[in-house]
Amino acid sequence: MKTTTWMKTLTTAALIAGMTTVGGMAHAGNVENMERERAILIDTMLTADLSPAERQSKIETSTRRLVDLERLVLRDDTLIGRNTPVVRRAFGNYDLTFLVHASTEAGMSIMDTWLDQMGLSSQTLMAADRKHR
Amino acid sequence: MNMRNQHQPFISKSLAAVFAATLVVAIPGVALAEGGPTWHPESSERLVKLPPTYLQKTLDYDFEQSDLGQAMRDIAVEVEFKTLTLADLQAAIGQSDGEVRTELRHQFLAEKSVYIELAVARNTLQRQQLLTKMAVLDDILAELTADQASMTPARQQLIDHQQAARSRFEAAMADVDLSLAETTLGTESRYSLEFAANFTAIEALTLAIQSHSMNEGPMAEEGTLTKREYLRQMITDVETELALLDQQEKIIGQMAKLVALDAMALSNDLMGVELAQANDPGTGTVRAAIGFFVPN
Repeated sequence: MKTTTWMKTLTTAALIAGMTTVGGMAHAGNVENMERERAILIDTMLTADLSPAERQSKIETSTRRLVDLERLVLRDDTLIGRNTPVVRRAFGNYDLTFLVHASTEAGMSIMDTWLDQMGLSSQTLMAADRKHR
Repeated sequence: MNMRNQHQPFISKSLAAVFAATLVVAIPGVALAEGGPTWHPESSERLVKLPPTYLQKTLDYDFEQSDLGQAMRDIAVEVEFKTLTLADLQAAIGQSDGEVRTELRHQFLAEKSVYIELAVARNTLQRQQLLTKMAVLDDILAELTADQASMTPARQQLIDHQQAARSRFEAAMADVDLSLAETTLGTESRYSLEFAANFTAIEALTLAIQSHSMNEGPMAEEGTLTKREYLRQMITDVETELALLDQQEKIIGQMAKLVALDAMALSNDLMGVELAQANDPGTGTVRAAIGFFVPN
């Protein structure tokens, strides 16, 4: 009788372990959070009403945060195979989504990488004329 | 009518009953008993998460604890005792003669009939067990197959992208850390520090899980089996047991027919004895009385 109770408890424990090894709870918002932080970083880079020191400080803080968020997304096992439009789009273009890591890999600045992904380059922008349409 | 003659109609009637009973059990494909002992294994959704080798033992243990398992053990004991009774009677018949021998032959037939009924009941329970097990294994395999079927080309492409992204990330991670260290923020973030510490712990745990004996995959001649392969092997084993059970039922059917024939033979013998002992009602008695009618 005692053995039966033990066996039941052990079986339940094994089943619980089986369930918990599937993985942590999916956190659906980490891709969105990363994209929001990236948008803020790009906005900081493009904003005209900031002093160079202010801009530099904000960019560094935002970059540090974005590095962590990019790593959170890249290491999130619950996103593997999650075939949703957000996840598909995020992993469809590594260089644009994981901007900090991609720019370091390419040896370019974050701004140049972003512009490059947008189909622009520093050279083309510098060479552009200011004209009336 | 003496005692022997009083017994014989009774024996003939019970022989007819044995004959009828054995004919009933000789019909193949006995329906599963309704309202009898049952076995309701764990749901396949839960079992599918267990390691393959543990799954087999869990199913076996679950069955042992069920009403059906208890009923099968009980009936196995009954069959064993009945076999001993049959052996005793068979030996006693060999050493007896006359009326006692007839009585023992009758008892032997009756016990053989009961043995057949028990064997049929045992096979019915065993079939119930195997069919339940088969249904559970089919469900588990279907769940695993559903996971596999959900791998559409678009999903596979996404997974490929994710794997490629991880590879690029791993390669660039050290450079990113270096460039961050050069900034005014300097030291690593809380996430980086905590992740590194946790990662070491996770690595140690992963290693322990991989080397755990219960996590070892089942082995076959060709090497380690996957979960799906192991399940298919288990289903094949159940199919084999069902096929052997069919054969056993055929054997029981043949046994039943033999018991019926033995009952007929014994009945035939007894009728012969009765006929021999009975006063011949005669058919020539009219001729013997002719003297009363014909004048001399």
